[in-house]
Amino acid sequence: MNDVTRQFRDFFTSLTLTVVLLVLGMVLVFAATLDQVNLGIWAVQEKYFRSFFVLAKFGDIPVPVFPGGYFIGGLMLINLIASHAYRFKATLRQLGIQLAHAGLILLLIGELFTGILQDDFSMRLTQEEPRNYSESFRENELAIVDTTDPKHDEVVAIPESIAARGETIQHPKLPFRVITRLYYPNSLIRNREAGTPASPAAIRATKGIGLNVDLTPLPITYKQDERNLPGAFVELVGSEGTIGTWVISADPRMPPQRFDYGGRNYNISLRFTRAYKDYTLTLLKFSHDKYSGTEIPKNFSSRIRLQTPGGADDREVLIYMNNPLRYAGYTFYQASFEPGNDKVTILQVVRNPSWLMPYIACSVMTLGLLWQFTIHLLGFIAKRRRTAPAAA
Amino acid sequence: MKALPPSVLALVLALAPGCQKEEITTYRIPKEQHPAAKAAASAAPATAASPAPAGSDRANTAVATASGAPLAWTAPATWTAKPAGAMRKGSYAVKGDEGEADFAITAFPGDVGGDLANLNRWRGQLSLPALNQSDFAAATEHVDHNGLHMTVVDILGTGDKPQRILGAMIPHGGATWFFKLTGPAALVAREKPAFTAFLATIKPAAPAK
Repeated sequence: MNDVTRQFRDFFTSLTLTVVLLVLGMVLVFAATLDQVNLGIWAVQEKYFRSFFVLAKFGDIPVPVFPGGYFIGGLMLINLIASHAYRFKATLRQLGIQLAHAGLILLLIGELFTGILQDDFSMRLTQEEPRNYSESFRENELAIVDTTDPKHDEVVAIPESIAARGETIQHPKLPFRVITRLYYPNSLIRNREAGTPASPAAIRATKGIGLNVDLTPLPITYKQDERNLPGAFVELVGSEGTIGTWVISADPRMPPQRFDYGGRNYNISLRFTRAYKDYTLTLLKFSHDKYSGTEIPKNFSSRIRLQTPGGADDREVLIYMNNPLRYAGYTFYQASFEPGNDKVTILQVVRNPSWLMPYIACSVMTLGLLWQFTIHLLGFIAKRRRTAPAAA
Repeated sequence: MKALPPSVLALVLALAPGCQKEEITTYRIPKEQHPAAKAAASAAPATAASPAPAGSDRANTAVATASGAPLAWTAPATWTAKPAGAMRKGSYAVKGDEGEADFAITAFPGDVGGDLANLNRWRGQLSLPALNQSDFAAATEHVDHNGLHMTVVDILGTGDKPQRILGAMIPHGGATWFFKLTGPAALVAREKPAFTAFLATIKPAAPAK
């Protein structure tokens, strides 16, 4: 074994590394818990745990100040696997320890997969209106839809993170360039009566709803039950110069804005990021019981029709609390409702291919610990039996 | 622990930039079977910031209205409470022979552009020209109730059937609260004492548990 390999082996199998990583992990969890007051749970997860480094901004420059969850978790995983492989002995006595560690490895890998693969969306269904997409809880997209074809729509969806940069976006499916002139991560859109001067913003809308509304920036909200509604001034530039500047907002009350260019019809909107499915759900009936004399929900359920385009599936399902619909890798939970509107239901749509991992990991660890304790207990009993006659 | 071997550092640095990358996506979807309400909404876009139409998507999304401490008030018995909706903290109908006036209570984080911009927004709703900072003091009154500082405005519109706005702007808990009565001038004039008395009932409320 050469020096470098030995260096690697000694470093990654050392117990000191385990202890250092555990301490770093504790500090990270402590700092993240405190910061949750400022950032809310989602931003904290992204900043502290689903990152390699915790970044702090000095001026405009992000500087890594502490190892992040992926870094610590990744090293822990390597440390565990390396020690596991290096010290592994196929004896019955060691089986318990081996199983407990294997369970821990599974747990770490499971969390990694959840972080990467989990999708968490919402689906709002109105009675008798089929719907084939869910919407993100937090992310938004700038959507430009070519609606010329009477049967199909061609969608170009630009993630908010790209649109917010303000760079010129040229996409092969669009005959014009898209430039975000001004972008607010959270904003308020309000009516302006005809004849009133626009807000003193440097950039004005020249087309669409923007002629009648004001867009005001708002502070970013980190509250768990609120979402930021970004707004932007977006200019479209064709081969012969500007087509116009639109105000768009992710405010759900703002409909897509229509315009024509080059003989084709388009819609432009800023909307909650959509995930389309190849099946449709239709709300047939939403039932909602309250505890008598109060507004506290007792039970709510949605009778849904599930259809695939080919007709392979066409059935009714009942979704209620603790009885979700599992279909095509997605789980649809009864999540919420709109007060005073019994024709609407709100489902939470979750895809987590690794949802079984924590269960398997915990079972393996339990088995390992049971084995370990049983071996010890049996050894202890045997020892007492041996010493008891001698004492007598 | 021994110092970190350089080879380990190199490995860690090589792993570090593996982050997710977002991309522009394109796809083709069958046309949505639109309910009439939504089609109408896209054809008449000028109503963007009016209350959500019944068919509108995600109308119940919690938007960033006032964060922080709430306010409490007692409305006159003659005002009829209406459903507040997503953007309003409170909503009342004030009825009279001349028609109906609308009393709206809203709250937004920060100063929402400042008192002058907010006054001018209301003036704009009555088709009046914007005022300068120098005119601002003359157009507003200031009162204090229950530890709250209120900037009160009274704006009379023009025309045959003029509208009038009685409004109060109250900074509280990092947000600005707006209390606004809009309606036919004669009706609003008659309700002015009730509005003034109403302002005295506004006070900081215990946060909802």
